[in-house]
Amino acid sequence: MKKDIFALCIVIFLVVLICTGTKIQSVDDYYLTHIDDIKEDSQTVFLTVKCDTVLKNWDKLDSALRYEKYVPGDGFILKRTEYVLRDKDTAYSILDRAVRYNKIHMECTYSANYSSVYVQGINQLYEFSCGELSGWMYMVNGVFPNYGCSKYYLSDGDELVWCYTCDLGRDVGCDWGLMR
Amino acid sequence: MRYFDRLHPAAALVYFLFMILTAMLSLNPAVIVLCYLSGVIFCGILTGFKNLFKSLLYSIPLTALIALTNPIFSHRGETVLFFLNDNPVTKEAILYGVFTALMLMSVFYWCRNYSTVMTTDKFIYLFGRAIPKLSLVLSLILAFIPKLKRKYKEIDAAQKALGVYAAKSYVDKIRSKMRVLSILLTDSLENAVETADSMRARGYGLKHRTSFALYRFEISDGIFLAVTAVLGIGCIACIAAGGANFNFYPALSRLNLSAVSCALYACLALLGFMSLFVEVKENILWRLLKSKI
Repeated sequence: MKKDIFALCIVIFLVVLICTGTKIQSVDDYYLTHIDDIKEDSQTVFLTVKCDTVLKNWDKLDSALRYEKYVPGDGFILKRTEYVLRDKDTAYSILDRAVRYNKIHMECTYSANYSSVYVQGINQLYEFSCGELSGWMYMVNGVFPNYGCSKYYLSDGDELVWCYTCDLGRDVGCDWGLMR
Repeated sequence: MRYFDRLHPAAALVYFLFMILTAMLSLNPAVIVLCYLSGVIFCGILTGFKNLFKSLLYSIPLTALIALTNPIFSHRGETVLFFLNDNPVTKEAILYGVFTALMLMSVFYWCRNYSTVMTTDKFIYLFGRAIPKLSLVLSLILAFIPKLKRKYKEIDAAQKALGVYAAKSYVDKIRSKMRVLSILLTDSLENAVETADSMRARGYGLKHRTSFALYRFEISDGIFLAVTAVLGIGCIACIAAGGANFNFYPALSRLNLSAVSCALYACLALLGFMSLFVEVKENILWRLLKSKI
């Protein structure tokens, strides 16, 4: 019987460990995000989320996604908006706050290889949804930083654009290939 | 007397191949449900409904496990139920998991039906000439698992008689089970070596060996084969033509009810329930004939 009690303790311990490690939120809780009001002295950045390249590659797009609500007709999932820059805000954290505030779907994973977050999909538009060279990239002040999005710290007045590419960045003006 | 016992092995093989192939090819809910239902009921007719309920009971936790694993890893879908560690758990992902599990189960049941009907002698009769070694190995492998199950029961009973399970503690009981498993594994390894030796001694794999089996291809087998081939090719052609298209992500699409899809559902229903029909008809006929004696 002693063994049974010991085994039961281990099981309970494991269950508690898993339970404390998981965070369950209702939908309303998750989207309840506060965005600071823009004041005279607050530092701000501009954020745009666009997928206009998909409109040019409509035939390559997954047929289940060919609707206005997934790919807006003007190509903007989030039009250029000014957001308050908090301390240690990265290209990812601003996006996360903005999509939560606007109740837009986003999925990302933490990639341990690069110790950074990788954005898989925004607004149900995923990597590889529009051809095998498609996915989300970000651009700061017109330059594509070759850097993990949760490791790139933004500064005052930055222009952050998350754009969807259908051709490994070439169609949105990323010139990593030319640099080499 | 089962109809499928009398049926020529070639016809039965073609039938099962078409059924398993169709069940594997598509994730359309209607197709999956048709395959699952026909497979499960046919399994009940073949092996008895008591055995069927037992296996269904075992399959429930497995189905639930697959159904619940998918939403943990897949976060696509529009209808968010709640957020787990900042990732959405969606209705679509759960349904996708449920239907994947059902598909696996339907393939499982059709494979089970296959192995009940297509005994190893039938398989060797069909393929003994064309691929002698492979067919022998395959039949050995397919016979292995039922044999293992039988052996497990034997060892378990022997251990019980020795008083292994007398301990009250659950931990000790689980450890006894582990011992039974280890005995089973050793036994099967030894058995494999002995089987190989014994088969060599009896001259398996020699050149001019012949095998004998009494299967005659009758007209009724021909009719069965023709109907199966027409329906089966119809099913696969309809799937190839996009009749089974169905999207789970980002939102569940409506069930396809176009002409091609309806043809697919009709073909599949006929194909799947054809076996039940002939089996039940045979059963009634058998009872009638018996009552006349």
